[in-house]
Amino acid sequence: MSDLQDTARRLLDEGTVQVVIGWEASRLGARPVFVTSADDCDKLIFDTRCVHNLATFLNPRRVQVAALGKAAVVVKGCDAKAVAGLLREAQFERDAVVTIGVRCGGVVSEPSGLEPPELTSANVAARCPGCDVREPASVDFLVGEAQPEPPVTTSLNERIGELDALSPAERFAFWTGELSRCTQCYACRQACPLCYCERCIVEKSQPQWIETSPHPRGNFAWHLTRAQHLAGRCVGCGECERACPVGIPLGLINRKLQQVVHELYGYTVTDDPAVPAPIGAYATDDTQDFIK
Amino acid sequence: MSKPAKGDMKTDGAQLKTTKATKATKAKPGAKANDAIATVRQRFLVSADALAALVDKLAAAGTPAVAPAWTADGTTDATDATVAATARETEYRSVSGAAELALGERLPRLSLKQYFLPPTEVLFSYRRNGGGEVELTPAPTDFAAQVVLGARPCDTAALPIVDKVMNWDYADELWNARRAATTIFSLACGVEDDSCFCSAVFLDPATAQGADGLLTPVDDGYLVETLSDKGDAFAAAHPESFAALAAGTDKAATEQAERFRAAAGERVAGHLTLDHERLRNWLENHFDDPFWATLGLRCNGCGVCASVCPTCHCFDIVDEPESVGRGVRRRNWDTCQTCVFTLHASGHNPRADQNARYRQRIEHKFHVYPFKFGDVLCTGCGRCSRACPTSQDLAEILAAINAKAAGESAAPDKAGKASKAAKGADAAPTTGADS
Repeated sequence: MSDLQDTARRLLDEGTVQVVIGWEASRLGARPVFVTSADDCDKLIFDTRCVHNLATFLNPRRVQVAALGKAAVVVKGCDAKAVAGLLREAQFERDAVVTIGVRCGGVVSEPSGLEPPELTSANVAARCPGCDVREPASVDFLVGEAQPEPPVTTSLNERIGELDALSPAERFAFWTGELSRCTQCYACRQACPLCYCERCIVEKSQPQWIETSPHPRGNFAWHLTRAQHLAGRCVGCGECERACPVGIPLGLINRKLQQVVHELYGYTVTDDPAVPAPIGAYATDDTQDFIK
Repeated sequence: MSKPAKGDMKTDGAQLKTTKATKATKAKPGAKANDAIATVRQRFLVSADALAALVDKLAAAGTPAVAPAWTADGTTDATDATVAATARETEYRSVSGAAELALGERLPRLSLKQYFLPPTEVLFSYRRNGGGEVELTPAPTDFAAQVVLGARPCDTAALPIVDKVMNWDYADELWNARRAATTIFSLACGVEDDSCFCSAVFLDPATAQGADGLLTPVDDGYLVETLSDKGDAFAAAHPESFAALAAGTDKAATEQAERFRAAAGERVAGHLTLDHERLRNWLENHFDDPFWATLGLRCNGCGVCASVCPTCHCFDIVDEPESVGRGVRRRNWDTCQTCVFTLHASGHNPRADQNARYRQRIEHKFHVYPFKFGDVLCTGCGRCSRACPTSQDLAEILAAINAKAAGESAAPDKAGKASKAAKGADAAPTTGADS
């Protein structure tokens, strides 16, 4: 991955940035790394274990990262969509961050292992098959060799199709079971690159809009609100589901939202920040069917 | 609120004794805590079939055992044979039959803590009766007896550690009552992975700490050793399952079990070694060390580490109205890793960034708790490292601090200079933990 390392080294040497946010190998697998010296750029890797969406670290409220100075961030296509989302929502100026895009052939669902595993239909992350942005277009640099298509597996769309085929009562029973394990730890929120609010609504207590107790009422209120707040904004990177310590399939909720937003507004989440998301745009022919 | 019955506390006293026995072995650095043998009361041989029959019997009687079981949820389907066993997850739950058991497999997703400190529980309910009068009804503490079978020793060992907090300045009725109502048979562990380090925190894969009985795999089943009154009582209540060891097989089974435990202990002992006194001193004197500024960078501040931790015990208290004039007070799991944990009403936050919050996690577990209670607030189960979405590696971080502490104690008169030199070297936070 000398392309990646050379680009990072040059950016640090020239003083264009003070930190490069990328991935490194560790004894437990790949993980995020913050390189502040050109001499350390040989740590940077990109392979099938580089699962994490590093755009999450661009949240200006992560003060310990912001304190390092101007950042370059290594992004897969899905990560580039998150950077675009942050730009679209004016979280920082375009020239405040340098993006190094990597050509991606998919990643595994968990970043573990001393060696990058070969992707198979059993280990590939659910979001990867059918990915529409394996070579991010809106980045400052694009590095790496062209990669093959990710292997095909049961897609999120197929799993949603199965749920859609259920009766409302059956579907409710499915989600009741899944959400019953939630402890409201909010790891899903913390891992999300688009969940950047200074004060999340679940932490507002005057009044207490959402009960923070992990009983069915509180859990449904939290997950419905989380989903609504990400409608048309979620980039489908899957980090929320991966962060969940009790295995709630949040990716299904997020993909369903993407489908609904597409049906209603013709919007597909993109890595082009110039394309407005429905939440931030108005058109005279916007659907109004939901206003009763 | 009602005080726990005296009998309850007696049982807890017995539990704490086990901890003290372990503590005594700490005095000899390098000595392997082998309290499993020291406190054994009775030995039985329970075949795999007999254990399965016992689990089925308990379920049929409406008193299902809590045990590690395969998860069957949206992310991992236990019934799907194409999913490799290593990719399937396990969880503690009330099992409705032996077919669900996942004994001696991957560590359960959440620890056993949830059965003593549930993610949410009612403390009391309240009702306004008019005229300013408020009626409080404490949550009942008369929990039905429950048995845990096949718990991980690193989960069981956490309970006496948390007992000390729950009985420090206030005796927590709900915690104590659940502890008293529960009988735990743990299963000696033989499936460690790279995140495990129980032997570095005074334990081992077969520690008896917190257990009423210990199962160890032997030919055709398990050697079962009872370790408390509760353990003896459970064995006596199920004589058809707990077969007395036949004369002559006692020695062979015990030796085989001992070999299993020794081999597992040796394997995990290679993972990490800590000098706790030195570590504690370093933590006490390096509150502002630049090393901390390397640890918060990759941290999401989500506190998954605390959710899955068997010893993290912090909770938040909320009042929830259920109707006009009545409601409940609950406590819910909380974590020092979130920004709001220490946020003052004024807007000031004494732990201003994630570096300070991660430092708190390490300081509490390896300095503050040991200072107060003479143990560490960690059982080396490694869940925090496995569950961390950004692969924060606790064993690696502890090894790094241990090495720093060793470096300074090697040249005590140059400690100040060494610290300054370290500052220079660490100023560029290129990794999470530069060991």
